Formats: sequence, C-alpha cells, structure tokens
Amino acid sequence: MSGPSPSAGPEPVLTGRGLAKRFGAAVALDGVDLAVGRTETVAIMGPSGSGKSTLLHCLAGIMRPDAGEVHLLGQRIDALGERRRSTLRRTRFGFVFQFGQLLPELPAEENVALPLMLNGTPRRDAVKAARTWFGPLGLGGMERRRPGELSGGQAQRVAIARALAPRPAVVFADEPTGALDQATGHETMRLLTEATRHNDASLVVVTHDPSVARWCDRTVQVRDGRVQQPVPGAA
Amino acid sequence: MGTTLDLTWRLLRGGGRRNLLGAALALAAVAVSTGLLLFAVTANLAFAQRARADAWRHPGKAGADPVMIEALATDHVRGEPITVVDLAALKPGAPAPPGMPRFPNPGETWTSPALARLMKDLPSGQLAARFPARAGTLGRDALIHPDELVAVVGRAPGDPAMTAGRDRLAGVENTAAPTRIARYSTGAAAFAGVYQALVAIASVLMAVPLLVFGGAAARLTVARRDRRLAALRLVGATPGQVVAITTAEAVITAAAGALAGTVLYAAAIPALTRITIAGGGWYASDLWPGLPVVAAVLAAVPVLVGASAVAGLRRVVVGPLGVARRETPPAMRAVRVLLLAAVMAAFAGASGGLTGLGRLGLVIMLVFLMLAFLAINLAGPWVVALIGRITVALARTPARLLAGRRLVDDPRSAWRTVAGVALTGFVAGFLALLGGASSGTKASDRLELSVPPERAAAVAEQVKGRLDGIDAGVAVRPPSTGGPSADAAVVTVTVRGGASAVDRARTALAGTVPGHVATTPADEERGRDQLLADLRTGALTVLVVSFLIAITSAGITGASAVLDRRQAYAMLRLAGTPLRVLDRARRQETLIPLVVMGGGSLATGLFFAAPFAVGFGASGAVTLAAFVAVGFGGIAGASALSRPLLRSVTADPAPTPD
Ligand SMILES: Nc1ncnc2c1ncn2[C@@H]1O[C@H](COP(=O)(O)OP(=O)(O)OP(=O)(O)O)[C@@H](O)[C@H]1O
Ligand SMILES: [Mg+2]
Repeated sequence: MSGPSPSAGPEPVLTGRGLAKRFGAAVALDGVDLAVGRTETVAIMGPSGSGKSTLLHCLAGIMRPDAGEVHLLGQRIDALGERRRSTLRRTRFGFVFQFGQLLPELPAEENVALPLMLNGTPRRDAVKAARTWFGPLGLGGMERRRPGELSGGQAQRVAIARALAPRPAVVFADEPTGALDQATGHETMRLLTEATRHNDASLVVVTHDPSVARWCDRTVQVRDGRVQQPVPGAA
Repeated sequence: MGTTLDLTWRLLRGGGRRNLLGAALALAAVAVSTGLLLFAVTANLAFAQRARADAWRHPGKAGADPVMIEALATDHVRGEPITVVDLAALKPGAPAPPGMPRFPNPGETWTSPALARLMKDLPSGQLAARFPARAGTLGRDALIHPDELVAVVGRAPGDPAMTAGRDRLAGVENTAAPTRIARYSTGAAAFAGVYQALVAIASVLMAVPLLVFGGAAARLTVARRDRRLAALRLVGATPGQVVAITTAEAVITAAAGALAGTVLYAAAIPALTRITIAGGGWYASDLWPGLPVVAAVLAAVPVLVGASAVAGLRRVVVGPLGVARRETPPAMRAVRVLLLAAVMAAFAGASGGLTGLGRLGLVIMLVFLMLAFLAINLAGPWVVALIGRITVALARTPARLLAGRRLVDDPRSAWRTVAGVALTGFVAGFLALLGGASSGTKASDRLELSVPPERAAAVAEQVKGRLDGIDAGVAVRPPSTGGPSADAAVVTVTVRGGASAVDRARTALAGTVPGHVATTPADEERGRDQLLADLRTGALTVLVVSFLIAITSAGITGASAVLDRRQAYAMLRLAGTPLRVLDRARRQETLIPLVVMGGGSLATGLFFAAPFAVGFGASGAVTLAAFVAVGFGGIAGASALSRPLLRSVTADPAPTPD
C-alpha cells in the first residue's frame, strides 16, 4: 500500500481511497481517504449536505464512486457488479438506519432471522440464532412482538440485532439515533458499539450528534465532500 | 375553506412522482368503479324499459267497458319468432298502441323495421303472404329490441281470428286468446318480471365486489398520506384541518375518477348494445341512464369516497404517532366460515325439493345463491388469514415467509385482490354445469297444428289442398293423454326441402285454423331454451365484470402494497436483499390465496349447481378452462405490473420518508 494511510487500527478491515462522487453539478465527495481497523468504531460527522451519507453508501458498496477504490480485507469491492455487491452487503455488512427498516408484518425475531435465511440458513436455525440476540440487547420476551408494538428504542435494538446476526465484518449506521430522544439515543449507541466490538465487527456511524460520536473510538469530520482532520475520539 | 383547498391542491401537485402515481391509481380505481356502477344501475333501467315495451302486447284481464279486442300469437320465420298482435276496435275512439300514430284499420299490418326488411328480402310466399298488406312501421316504443320481429294486424271485431281461442306453448307467455279490453296493459308481464328480478340479482352480484373494491380505492387515496399527515399533526395542524385537507384531496380525485368512469361507460355503450338477451341486443338510448342518474352517480361517488376517507383517517387523527404503529390485527372469528357452512348445509338439505317447486323454487334458489355469495365474502378474509398462517408455518424460504406474513397481517387486502376471482369462480362453476343444456336437437321440419279432435280429418284435407306444390307429408296424431294440449288432436306436416320450404308451408297454412299457428318442435324448444340461454349470457356478463374488477384491483392492490412498504423494501435492498426475493414474495402473496380461493369457490359453485346439472358438457369444460386461464393469467399479469414499481422504489439508494 502506498500513499497516505489514514488507518488507525493495526489491520484495516475496510479502506476507501480517493473516493469521489458527484450528482450532476453537485460534488458530494471530493477525494476522501478513510480506513477502518478491526473492531474499530468510527463516527462520521459534518454539516448537512456535506457528503456523509454518500461516503457511507460508497464504502458499503451501495453506490459506486466515480473515482477511487474501496477494499474489504484486501479485496477490491467497488468494481464488482451489482449482484456481487448485493451478496457482499448481505453477508459481510450490517446496516442500521434511522427508522423504518423493520418489516411491519414480521415478528421481531423473524426480522432478525431474515438476513440469515437470505444467506441460506434453514429457517429453524435462523430463528434460533436470532433469539440469542434478544436477551443481551435487553429485549427478552419481545421476540414475538411486531415492530409496531415496540418503542422506537426497542425497534432500533432489534435493528442492531438484525445487523449483527449474520456476523458481519462491518456495521454501517446512518443516524441510528436520529429519531430517538437523547437518553434512549445514548443507550442505543452504547449497545451498538459494545455489541459490534463484542462480535469482532467494525462500526461506521454517521451522526450529527457530538455526544453520540463520543461513544466511538475516532471521529472523522467531513465538510464539502472532504475529510477535514482526524480527531482522536473519547474511548 | 379557501386555504384548505389551496393546501390540498399543493399537496396533490407537490407530492412528487410516486404520490402522483398513487393518485393516478386511485383515480383509475374510482373510474372503473363508477363505470361498472353505471352499468349495474342502467341494466335495471334498460330491463324496465323492455318490460314497458313488452307490456302492451299482453291483453291482461277483460275490461269492464271494452273499446277493443287484443290477441297475441307467435309465428316463426327462419326459426326466429315473430310476435303477432291482432287488434280490433269495438268503438271509434280505440286508443293507438305504443309506437303507432293511430289504431290499425282492419286489413292493415304494421311491422317492426326488422320484419319489414325480412318481408322485402324473402319471397312473399315465405313470409309476407301470411299477413294483410303492410301499412306502416312500428316505432321503438312498441319494440323490445331493435332486431325484434313484430307484426300488429288490424282486424274487424267479427274476424274469426278475433273470436277463436288460442293454445299456448307450455310455460312461455307468447300466446293470448282474444280479450276485450279498455286499455293496454302497462305492468310488466310475468316473464319480463322474471328478467327484471334476475337483473336485480345480477346487479347485487356485481355490486358486492364493487363495494369492496371501491372501499379499497378510497383507502388508497388516504394510505399514501398517512405519514405526511402524521407529520402535519406533529407540526401542529388541527385534526379538523387534517381531515379537511385529506377529504378534499380524496373528493377531488374521486370526482375526476367518477367523470372518467362516466366517459368510459358512455364509450362502452356501442359494445354493450350487442349483448344479446331475449333474442336481441339493445337500443343505445336504453343503455344511457339519463342525466338525473348520471348526476346522482357523479355526486354520490365522491361523497362516498370522501366518507370512506374520513373513516380511514380516524386513526391518523387520533394520535400523531398512531399511524407508524402497527399492532397485531385482532383475530377474525371462525363464525364467518360457519355461516358459509350453514348456508351450504341448508342448501344441500333443500335442493332436493327445489326443482319440483317451479318458480318459487327458482326464487328460493336465487336467495340461496345470494346468501352464499355474501357468506363467501365474509368468510374470504378469514380463509386468507388461515392460508397465510399455514403458509408461514410451512415456509422455508424468505420469500414464502414474507408472503405468508403479509397474508396474516392484512388478509382483507389480499382478499380484495382475489375476491373478484373467488366470487367469479363461484359463478363460473355454476355456469359450467348449466352449460350442459342441449339445444337444436328437436325436429325443425315437422309443423304441428293442434285442432279439436272432431275437426282433425277436415283440417288435414284442407291443409293438403293448401300445400299444393310443396313437398310435404300430412298426418293426424290423435289426442295424447299428457302434454299441454291434452284434448287436442294434432295435424302434422312434414316438410322436405329445408328452411325456405318450411316457411312456404307456414305461409300456406296461415289462418287455416283461426288463431292457431303451425309450429315445429324446434320452435317450442327454442322458446324454452331462451331463458336458459339468457341466464348464461347474464352470468357471463357478471363474470366479465367480476374479472374486470378482479384484474384492476389486483393491479391496484399490488401497486399500493409496494408503495406502502417502499421504505422497508428499499432498506432491505440496501442491506443486500435480492430484488428477486422481494418480487417472489410479492407474487406469492397474490398467487397462493388465488389458487386456494379461486379453486375453492369454483368447487362451491359446482356444488350449488349440481342439482340443476343437465350434464357436464364440452361447453362447460371450455367455460371452466377459460375461467382458469383468463382469471389467473389476468391477475398474475396485473400484479406483475407492480414489478417495475418495486424496482423503481428500491432503486433509490437513499430512501427518505416523504
Ligand atoms: N441522489 C442524489 N441526487 C442528487 N444529489 C444528491 C443525491 N444524493 C446526495 N446528493 C447531494 O450530494 C450532497 C451530499 O449529500 P449527502 O446525502 O451525502 O449529505 P449528508 O452529509 O448525508 O447530509 P445530511 O446530514 O443532511 O443527511 C448534497 O449536496 C446532496 O444534495
Ligand atoms: Mg445523510
């Protein structure tokens, strides 16, 4: 590897180099370098419209950057076709969004089991594996409830379980606490960071909230599509 | 009010492409509903008009102060019936019949346009010579349908035709003995009454799925708005404002849809006039419901949709956060299915005696039919939920699990999609068995003339003299013990040389026995088969309408299901769920209940028709096969329309709530 190495961890799991993306005339990303180490938790902060979500989408293989490369464990992923990237997202990545990612008609445990089933785990095993997440995340007894019967914080914890259940290498979260009050938001961030670390996964979280960013190992500031300077975060 | 309308208009216009698509779907649904509603209403009006056009031909009871004599007979040409009305004035001021400028003079024949054409086209020895000279053409008030063959013959009161009795064909009111009357009948004759009852039932059969569907359309206008309205509430709009905005939006969409539906219906009239009932098509003017009805429908549809929208909105208004919450739906009670079972059991118990009851049996049967129809509609969602639970229990793949969960979550919406076909399957099953009736097997070359036994030999001689030059054999059949004319002998004339020879013989025999018309067994069979044929035409029409509803509703329900879940679908796709899995789930959630319910209702229809089965003929098998092909193909096709929609809502990499 040559050039600037913004990696913080000893063995980077995910690396983005020289990422650029524009939408028509609007420049969303303008040459971003970012490396995420194993079990590292990185917060991406910045004003609205600065390109945080776009960066996350490029790193996660949702979007193809116009220029630059993304590597996962040494394998280049941004050049893969949509089908391969889709499989990659399903097997190696986990996602937590602001809200609405749970299917309303599925009980919580099936929402968690769904990605496992999509990866080929038989249903019975998938549900059994899904259930093991509920206790540690403080969701004991809510396995059969449907998303509509859960509070916002509980629903986000189910989403965390769903993201982690397939044992991903990296979890991506875009404003995971954006729809929650502060106390619930903090509790959710604590669970998210602890659970990803505990499961040997890295975490990339986009947020507006500095107090949310404090839960992460490191904060990256994005402004006008560029990374400003790495700031050591509170552990 | 002004600001509400302004806001509404902005919401409608500024809602973005997908909301516009939702509005377009709702509009299409309302348009189809309105068109079909107009059809259902107009069918009743059109049959009422036919009954009026028919009423005057039936003399009814003898009047107290008679001014004229009226008699009715049915002759045939080329196998088609001709309605012959004989009229004689007893006093100078006898009233003109409907469709005629004056009372016919003795020795005059007034004919319908179709009969006039036929008289011109055929040699006079085959048709025209049966009647006195043509004096004029009957107006449409005298006619049931444009192609009807009708002759009004003026006679002197002393004419033998005005004094001799008539014999009637069994069960069909196409003959009436000369009767002294003071005015023409206006009430529907019994036979026309049966038709009116049948069309009323058909309207009910069409209206049930129509209401289900219309309700869905109304909710569609609201569903898309749920989240945005909740947001409106969050920013402090009063419940009243929220209700007003949404209702105004629903009403505007519905008004446009109702207008489009009316235009659609008007455009369909030329095609509809070709539906053949009782031997003929329709006057276009009979199928136009008239301005008052149109105005009423145009006013009522938006109001109904608006009311439904308000009902659907209650949830939103109750609490700003209430919308996002979705609880486990309360389980539906099995009572719904017990009801259906009870109706079927009662029918099974009663069906044995029904065929012996004549017209009462028919009425009872139709009542059962309606009850079964309503019961199926009640039981439907319950069964869909059951199918969903079974699907979930057996599901091994994610797609199957998703499909099953959706069925359990919202069985009513899944039922709306398949209801049309399920209800139609019932009709189709019914039709398949009725379709076995044989037709055209009776002799069409043997004319029969019933006469008093003592005159039989003389009439036979007279007939032989008249048939000069026609290759025919004349015989006398003594009175039989059974049959409708038990005490009459029958002079039979077997004609060789095809239809034109038979018509020449009919013409030669005209007036041999005053008031009696020579008919072939095929003529009589035709009269009896007409009702059955019309029943099938009617059922087929209901079938087509149901399919229209089913296919439209499948398309709309599928699309709105995708729109409703677009955010979750988009996020699933972001997380790497293949579009293929989502698409398979979407397809299965329609096809699984369709196969089970369509098949089930088909079996129910077969069950109900079983006592009336004349035999499961080839046409029945074709009906069934066509039903299966068109129904399933149409629904699968319509629901496949939401596939590109699914692709487009999940293509957006950064889904945002709107
Ligand atoms: N699909 C798109 N089409 C056009 N422009 C886009 C699209 N997505 C993002 N942009 C533009 O790219 C820029 C970066 O957007 P991005 O969503 O990454 O910002 P963000 O930092 O996530 O903002 P926020 O905090 O508001 O979510 C913005 O100027 C935005 O308008
Ligand atoms: Mg963003």
